[in-house]
Amino acid sequence: MTERIEHIVKHIHFDSEEEVAKALDHAGQLQDLTYEEKNDLAAAFSIIFYHHDHAGITAMGKLAIRAEHLIAGFGCDVVPFLLGELINADSESAAYLGKAIALNPCPNVDALLQAWEENWDDDFAGINIIQTLSYFKDPDVVKAIPQILVACKSANFQVRAMGLYTIGKLALRLDPGVFSEELLLSMFDTVFTMLADSKPLVRKNAARSLGKMQKRGLLTDKQRLQVLAAFKAILGTDGQHNWDRAFIVRHEAEHFLPLFSSRPAMGDRYRQSFKILAKKELCEKTFHFVIEAPMIARKLKAGQFIIVRPHDHSERIPLSLCGWDVDRGTIEIIVNTVGKTSAEINALQVGDRFIDIVGPLGQRSHVQAYPDTCVVIGGGYGTGAIIPTAKDLKALGNKVIGIVGARSKDLLLMTQELAAVCDEVMITTNDGSAGIEGFVTDALQQVVLREDVSYVLAVGPVPMMQAVSKLTEPLAITTYVSLNAIMVDGTGMCGACRVSVGGKTRFACFHGPDFNGHEVDFEQLMKRQKMFVKEEREALYSVEA
Amino acid sequence: MSKEIKRPLSNKERINLPHQIMPLRQAWERVNNFAEVPLGYSDEQAVAEAQRCLQCRKPHCVEACPVGIDIPGFIKLIEQGDPAAAASKIRETNFLPAACGRVCPQDKQCQAVCVVGRKNLPVGIGSLERYAADYEREHHTLTPPAIAPSTGKRVAIIGSGPAGLSAAYELRVKGHEVVVFEAFHRAGGVMVYGIPRFRLPLEIIDEDIAYLESLGVQFVYNMVIGNILTLDDLLEQEGFDAVFIGTGAGLPNMLTIPGTNANGVYSANEYLTRINLMEADKFPEYSTPLFQGKKVAVIGAGNTAMDVLRTAKRLGSEVTCYYRRSENEAPARSEELEHAKEEFINWRWLSNPVEFIVDENNFVKQIKCEKMVLSEPDESGRRSPQPTGEFFVEDCDTVVMSLGCSVNPIIPSTDKEVRINKWGVIMVDVETCQTSKKGVFAGGDAITGGSTVILAMGQAKTAAAAIDKYLRGELREDPRVPTDPNFYVKDWQLNNGHAKNGKQKKVTA
Repeated sequence: MTERIEHIVKHIHFDSEEEVAKALDHAGQLQDLTYEEKNDLAAAFSIIFYHHDHAGITAMGKLAIRAEHLIAGFGCDVVPFLLGELINADSESAAYLGKAIALNPCPNVDALLQAWEENWDDDFAGINIIQTLSYFKDPDVVKAIPQILVACKSANFQVRAMGLYTIGKLALRLDPGVFSEELLLSMFDTVFTMLADSKPLVRKNAARSLGKMQKRGLLTDKQRLQVLAAFKAILGTDGQHNWDRAFIVRHEAEHFLPLFSSRPAMGDRYRQSFKILAKKELCEKTFHFVIEAPMIARKLKAGQFIIVRPHDHSERIPLSLCGWDVDRGTIEIIVNTVGKTSAEINALQVGDRFIDIVGPLGQRSHVQAYPDTCVVIGGGYGTGAIIPTAKDLKALGNKVIGIVGARSKDLLLMTQELAAVCDEVMITTNDGSAGIEGFVTDALQQVVLREDVSYVLAVGPVPMMQAVSKLTEPLAITTYVSLNAIMVDGTGMCGACRVSVGGKTRFACFHGPDFNGHEVDFEQLMKRQKMFVKEEREALYSVEA
Repeated sequence: MSKEIKRPLSNKERINLPHQIMPLRQAWERVNNFAEVPLGYSDEQAVAEAQRCLQCRKPHCVEACPVGIDIPGFIKLIEQGDPAAAASKIRETNFLPAACGRVCPQDKQCQAVCVVGRKNLPVGIGSLERYAADYEREHHTLTPPAIAPSTGKRVAIIGSGPAGLSAAYELRVKGHEVVVFEAFHRAGGVMVYGIPRFRLPLEIIDEDIAYLESLGVQFVYNMVIGNILTLDDLLEQEGFDAVFIGTGAGLPNMLTIPGTNANGVYSANEYLTRINLMEADKFPEYSTPLFQGKKVAVIGAGNTAMDVLRTAKRLGSEVTCYYRRSENEAPARSEELEHAKEEFINWRWLSNPVEFIVDENNFVKQIKCEKMVLSEPDESGRRSPQPTGEFFVEDCDTVVMSLGCSVNPIIPSTDKEVRINKWGVIMVDVETCQTSKKGVFAGGDAITGGSTVILAMGQAKTAAAAIDKYLRGELREDPRVPTDPNFYVKDWQLNNGHAKNGKQKKVTA
């Protein structure tokens, strides 16, 4: 033993972590170590691995890990020594020795396999070697797998258990590309068979290995279903009631079951629940709903609409939005009972789900920075639909005036929400019970007399939108109306929502829903909306009956 | 059956065997319900019909088939009494045999070029295909294909009609992860909302969709791609490696004559969707309403028009077909036209609607037509209708326009990189179905502007093969997508990935 080595070695006292740390520091600084010197240091430091008193003492444990790395860094020269130690080591020190071998940059899988060959009859040596193989990151270790699979059939159950454990480790750690199809097949076959082993520990490790293989996508669809069935049997959920009596096995199967039962599918990312999270009555027969629909919420723009079906036998009806929350993934609608389907929607409660919601549909409202005031007008439950547009207009720096009209005070809705996104809100009621007595056009008249207006949006009953358009036409104020035509698909496919705009036929679902109010043929629209009046009445009777 | 045949039949004997006529339900019975009209061959009939096939060495029928089914091959298996093997033979190239056997225009494709057809009636290829597919379904002989190991690549399919389903199948089998996005609440596309149940029962489509699901194809409904996710979202943010557009021709053409927007005037799409998809005929149990009067006028004489005529008849109305050319020019499949003619429908050939006369509530009351005459054939041999200046007016209270469709504009309008021609049809490289946008392919009516189930499937197969190549990095980078907005492909006839001009012969029988 050379002097410099002796100097270090004598510092290795197990009562003092400081001394050991110092010795490690020194050894790390040494240059040009000879073969003998490396082996002497390895021998000296590996004593730490055997020193069981440090169990639980993290400081000494950390030093052992440092020693492990130091020895690994000595390369090929110390491999024979480490292998010799490994063969006879107890399980705890074998872990350190094994890591020193696995971390060693020297390509030593072959040496390890040879050592295994020579000690094939020694099960404890075998366990240590298999455990060591589980630490390898070198893809070369894949050639040890056939031998590990042989060990999985050993008469000694501890060897079997360690073999299965290592297969799982390697499946998880190595790049999936290194496994040949043939190898994967024999891995699966061996591991799957071991689910029927007599020893719980072996069954547990087999289940665990299968879980890890599935995690890395190494199993075929057929194998996945095979494992799924086996795990269900282990858990007794297959209806056979001969479940595995060992808790550790059931625990493992339960842990990995989700991986097998539903393959993590891309398509699942797009499934929305359409669950009703909140419901509020705004006025008679009119409800406000908050619905979970994160993907729709992310894409909605002011003016766009959705098509909903509350249940399987429903028709598809278009609805405008009164708000949405991208972060919470919710959309908000207001539904007024006018027919069968709207009555059915309003009968839904918090926690219920819509069967289908499609959207966003249609084009965005014509929002931009306008030179003069913008006026948004909502009639009846159309008030909700103007809020998103008002919000957008406001965000672009426009002065926004909201006008809300209703028959009487009780039927006014969403006025506060509208006020939050407008500079001013004017209220009109036909009976004068709140705000200006009269119609929304009376309020609009006041606005256009006192200031310049460059944009008007009206949403509500057709006569109201027509009256607004008639008022603004001679003043040449850009006026849009949002048309709630009858629709089926909402994507332009059926043409049910045809409207005449400027003498041309337009589809409200695709080209709209906002159209130039001065060009819309309101008479035709009103008549077209009455196309199914008789059927609607019949349907409503069938609900009420 | 085959045992009784002592020696192989000679070609001459085969040609002279009588054509087996598929039994039909009686017209007076079938106009009262939506049950399927043709009843299918019996085993004996199928073998007898299969014996008529000459097993040509260079079969024209295979060339004429857009997906290139080994027609003599499967017919031989039927003749040998093994319909299950025949069905798997068809499955090698055609994913929807039961649907194609029922709705393909065989009279313009395989049966039009059948050699037997020169002397006798052509072999009933479509009926035999249907027989094999029905046998497979009824006897559960379908064995799922081997699916290649996962490639880790993801493909988004937009639309679940014939094109989308075929592309999904082809790509899934090659080991790619496939997600199908459908705008409606159920899959099937035109086969569900368009083609009526008496031509194509719903169970057939549902079984094919369930089959795809069992292979690992994922379906997501209520997704209008372009709006809820753009093509860029799919390719960049959602991690799809390629996209296939199979959105079909979802924008109905309407006449621009007075009264087009009257109440009671439907597009064929709306009329059929209300009934087939939304089940408006079961109103009010199903909430979708249908306004249908006593006299229905249907404009057009294509396959869709036949579907509308026969559907309206089944709902108990008096139905009249108005078409500006004569019966010979009617583009419908001959079998459909025959069946429609049996079903007590009135025909007004050479009648061009010029106005729908409405009442004070905008409900249609009468149809005004101009009588037409056919010109002498022009250079292309086509006889065009000429106005005569004579008009006639007839009562009607419902009008359904079946004048074809344009391509749905949602995807092209939300992604300017996908080039379209001036009719809105998505332009593609005819050999690979690549669009002008990298990683995006298209097929079906979206690139033809309106065609048949089988052609859509042929294009989907071509596109799927190209997508597979593209995902493996083997597809050339510069697709030859036309830039001329006036460009359109005159004759789509795809066979095993090659576009060519289809040689079509008129049925002479």
